[in-house]
Amino acid sequence: MEIFIAGKGIITSIGNNVTEILDSLKKYKTGVGEITILPTGYAGKLPAAEVKYTNQQLSEISGLDISHSRTTFLSLLAARQAIADAAIPKFDSYKTGFISANTVGGMDKTENIFKEYLADSATLKLTETAYHDSGASTEVVAEVLGIKHHITTISTACSSSANAIMYGARLIKSRQLDIAVCGGTDSFSRFTLNGFHSLMILDSEPCKPYDENRKGLNLGEGAAYIVLVSERVAATLASQPLTKLSGYENANDAFHQTASSPEGKGNYLAMSGALRSSGLKPEDISYINLHGTGTSNNDLSEGVAIEQIFGTHIPPVSSTKPFTGHTLGACAAVEAVFSILCLEKGIILPHLRFTTKMKELNFEPCTKFLENQDVKHVMSNSFGFGGNCSSLIFSKARA
Amino acid sequence: MTYINGIGCISPQNTFRNDEFLKEVKEYATDKMLCIDPDYTKFLDPGAVRRMGRLLKFGTTAGLIALRDAGVETPGAISTATGFGLLDLSQKFLADVIATQEGVVSPTSFILSTHNTVSSNIALLCGCHAHNNTFSQRGFSFESALTDTAFMLQEGKQSVLIGAYDEVGQFAHAKFKHVGELRQEPCTSSDILSKENPGVIMGEGAAFFVLSKDKTANSYGSLSGHSTLFNPENADELRNWILDFLTAHQLQVEDIDVAALGYSGATKQDALTETVQDLFKQSTITAYKHLCGEYMTASAFGFWLACKMMKTNSVPDAVIIENRQRSPRVVLVYNSYKRYHSLMLFHAC
Repeated sequence: MEIFIAGKGIITSIGNNVTEILDSLKKYKTGVGEITILPTGYAGKLPAAEVKYTNQQLSEISGLDISHSRTTFLSLLAARQAIADAAIPKFDSYKTGFISANTVGGMDKTENIFKEYLADSATLKLTETAYHDSGASTEVVAEVLGIKHHITTISTACSSSANAIMYGARLIKSRQLDIAVCGGTDSFSRFTLNGFHSLMILDSEPCKPYDENRKGLNLGEGAAYIVLVSERVAATLASQPLTKLSGYENANDAFHQTASSPEGKGNYLAMSGALRSSGLKPEDISYINLHGTGTSNNDLSEGVAIEQIFGTHIPPVSSTKPFTGHTLGACAAVEAVFSILCLEKGIILPHLRFTTKMKELNFEPCTKFLENQDVKHVMSNSFGFGGNCSSLIFSKARA
Repeated sequence: MTYINGIGCISPQNTFRNDEFLKEVKEYATDKMLCIDPDYTKFLDPGAVRRMGRLLKFGTTAGLIALRDAGVETPGAISTATGFGLLDLSQKFLADVIATQEGVVSPTSFILSTHNTVSSNIALLCGCHAHNNTFSQRGFSFESALTDTAFMLQEGKQSVLIGAYDEVGQFAHAKFKHVGELRQEPCTSSDILSKENPGVIMGEGAAFFVLSKDKTANSYGSLSGHSTLFNPENADELRNWILDFLTAHQLQVEDIDVAALGYSGATKQDALTETVQDLFKQSTITAYKHLCGEYMTASAFGFWLACKMMKTNSVPDAVIIENRQRSPRVVLVYNSYKRYHSLMLFHAC
């Protein structure tokens, strides 16, 4: 059974919807800059890619009261767009699921009150902690959207939302659902900022993935969802879906809790498994949206694995994290939306700030926004802590 | 058919030895129940044991026990579930960040605090490069992992390691106490079934299982299906969902030998559970949360109870609410966590 993409929604530092984001990509406009929203001592010292709305503003725009977490506000804004974009007639008559992903949950709320809690646990402000767990935002957003048949959250670090998309596709293939709204959300937080800083993998300048002189990643925030539908639902749509999810694989590096293996075993297994599941050959891939975080370790493992699979015939590749920062649990969904845009518009996205090819690799990323391209199949990679490696392949609905 | 070929359970009871079955039940006289620790150095590197934090230790070890029990070295996939993730490690990191005012902090607790740490740690220890997933959806976390596992078996994986784990985090305990969800002390864990006092006892545990399409000499029974229901409007919707589930499996209520119910002490949930109990007038009625406490993935403890009852063909006194002298050949577990309701159906081999 084929799984079609009926709609998409997104909010990141480079725009609050698909149109704004496409415009930023076209204009090479990065979202990485000074931290102005998150209250942190690293403001002015470390760059990040924030959605430039305060929680109060996000509350007003989303219509959710201020007690909710930033993760939830972002999720609702993107998921609503995705469902509106899909415009499925008689949406309520179908079995629909909401499969979301995140890594921080309501940590942004918890960290605000944690100092007081440590001083005296009896003063705990409940409104600040009711949404701490990862499942909370999914539950809230599903209820606002009126989705009840299947709700769940996946949390596998930076590959989380790729796994949410795969799980949604399987629910449709097994006929448990007709429609699956899949993606992820994560808000920027002091928890993750200090965590990645303690690992010494944050670049104090805007990041330079796949560059010989790369120094680490920049964190970002955002949410993105795609609406997966069965063939039966796709047939009822006023405008036929242009793209489909044609392959996927979740593999594990099983090498180290945070570092990836030098030969990129997990990365290799994810990419080759996705190709196998789609029935495509490496030469069929028109473009790879890299995980490309900018850390020394990730880019090397991913790059080596790409060379192993694609040999010397490497398609255009780029990382879009220099635009959006690393949005963690949301990144695979953000980049799924980018991949779908490439197929729909016939474009290849630029890789910002690249200057020097990595000495270990024989290829370099595409630095130009290319139009009028024949983009038939796009591979999107997402790799995370715990060796969690996932790859997705999106294709034109009629190749 | 999906067979359960290995189990591993670490809980507030003595459950980590698979050759015993609730010989003695430990009573708790507080509002929390913590896991009884096995000797972790029998399973894990002693150096690692010191660094790991409680949940990572008991979660990983339960997974390794299940693999050993099944005689499976490397499973074809790993799918896990946790409601809160590694609470204590993430809060330790947060406390460090606050204490240093965002200064120099050790990354160890941050590294180990992601939700997928247990599943990836098991993958690391058993060299499993395959599918590795972690779900976190309150009372549907374990149930989602069951769905994921069914996909893996359908797609041809020989065996899948599935498990769930949660811990009594200090912060979450303080929060639940503050909102009045916990039982007022003094209390005892067996009081949960008396229905005289409201409130749950916060619990924890890890339960892992090796599921396969193939039956082995060690099989505990088969998992015939599971189902979830979010926020039913009333008891009728809940009961109809259960009856429809049974019908879909060609069963009548009287075919259920043992119903294991998730009575927790939470007034609203327990009132609904009573209406569920009323459906099963000929079944032996059992409960399990007085043994493990209430937590988001407690249904996995119910899964463990079903496995042990089927394999030993016995229903221990410690779990019986109403004994109708039925041999546990067809077992139904009904769990609820707040607005999340789930069913799991088992057949003995």
